[in-house]
Amino acid sequence: MGEPILEIVDAGFGVALQDLGRRGWKRFGVPPGGALDRHAARLANQLVGNLPDAPVLEILYHGACVQARRRIEVALTGAAVSTGRPGDWHTFWLSDGEALAIAPPRAGVWSYMAVSGGLAGTRWFGSVSAFPRGGLGSVLESGTVLERPVHPFVPLPPAIGRRWIDPTEQRDYLYPPAFRVWPGPQWQLFSEATRGAFFGQSWTVSSRSDRTGYRLDGGPMSCAAEVIPSEPVLPGSIQVPPDGRPIITMRDGPTVGGYPKIGLLDSAQLSWLAQCRPGQRIRFVVAST
Amino acid sequence: MLLRIDTFGPDALLVRYASKGDAAAFSRGQALLTHVDSHPPAGLIEATLGFTTMLLEFETGQCPDRALLEVMLEGVVREAPAEVGPGRSLELPVVYDGPDLKRVAEIAGLSVGQVIELHSSTEYRVRLLGFSPGFAYLDGLDQRLHTPKLATPRPQVPAGSVAIGGEHTAVYPAATPGGWNLIGRTDTPLLDVARAVVGSREAFGLRLGDAVRFVPVDRFHS
Repeated sequence: MGEPILEIVDAGFGVALQDLGRRGWKRFGVPPGGALDRHAARLANQLVGNLPDAPVLEILYHGACVQARRRIEVALTGAAVSTGRPGDWHTFWLSDGEALAIAPPRAGVWSYMAVSGGLAGTRWFGSVSAFPRGGLGSVLESGTVLERPVHPFVPLPPAIGRRWIDPTEQRDYLYPPAFRVWPGPQWQLFSEATRGAFFGQSWTVSSRSDRTGYRLDGGPMSCAAEVIPSEPVLPGSIQVPPDGRPIITMRDGPTVGGYPKIGLLDSAQLSWLAQCRPGQRIRFVVAST
Repeated sequence: MLLRIDTFGPDALLVRYASKGDAAAFSRGQALLTHVDSHPPAGLIEATLGFTTMLLEFETGQCPDRALLEVMLEGVVREAPAEVGPGRSLELPVVYDGPDLKRVAEIAGLSVGQVIELHSSTEYRVRLLGFSPGFAYLDGLDQRLHTPKLATPRPQVPAGSVAIGGEHTAVYPAATPGGWNLIGRTDTPLLDVARAVVGSREAFGLRLGDAVRFVPVDRFHS
């Protein structure tokens, strides 16, 4: 086994290992999984010199506390450092025994912590992304000790003190952009008026949102066909169930679905959406090439 | 219509090859997937089947020309047989004691005994894998047993639950949230987590095309 480097002292609202997910298993019903905010996860890895797909901790809201089991270089990105102050996404060192607690973030939902050299974890169909809802692994419990991979990716030279990222890459989740939406396969089933209702109003992210899907509250929409034969779904698909309140499929969402899809959120912005909290208001615009 | 390809955002295509999910649609889907697996267009990330559609996902900026792909895949559909023969034959022992068994019987206007008799006297076919890992939609459910899904899904359904959802029946391979009517349970494992860890397709107990029979038992042997 690898060397113990980090203990989850308290899992708080929830801590899981995530990478960029898996490919090729959707046809068996296995969702892609992986970090919901790929932008923040990638940057955390980049900061500490890891490959983009290296496992990182995905931390929900706050309350989580981790403790170093040896001196390690780490980076924290996402909600916990959505401070609005440029330069706050940077690397730092934790000494042996030093703890790091995640305080309630000012904005955003998910925080990402990367450890230089990476973290080892069980993989299911090639990804460390557990899928508890489908019988594959579980989120990390308090007391879990994470290990360095047996063959860690060779990290940066130790001389590097504190790396930081371009402040324009550091997102402030208080101010989401307008989300670009491509017409979905059932676009034609929605009337002109219904499409207008979708793009013309601001929607509220529902508290019934999780890694499988983000639900939206607002003026309900209507659709010509209530259900269609189940077809494959992409993360970012905007499905309209019979109650007219859209569901945006996230990375742990069902691989097939029978609700008509009005559109597809631009994949580059799905990470942004993932950081929008329940109660936050968002708007959509028609995407074009 | 033989085939139509719609865009699904800038980097994915949805190939629609049938209007309803019958035996002919299944045969077309199998032929298309086999073709795409053996002749993948450059940049293809993965191909996934629905009942009447196939999703093709590509690397950013590598989505091929729709018209060209349409011509190629139309040929595949044209040559697909009307039906494909069954795959493996499997028997799953079932204890019919699910919490929704009575509901299914009431909606059908049948006795519980008749529901069990009808459900276990059919040979089903695996028509679709999807929803959650290894979840197999089985075709062939007697029309009298077609039952709408629950208005509110259960937060947790035990692994091995035998269920009816609309016109399909299925077994939940793992403990998951679920909205289908639970009529019984089987002890045959349909998701092997150890094989999921090594990344083997053998992790899934059911494959597309398998013929499945449910055998009523009072209790399991082990």
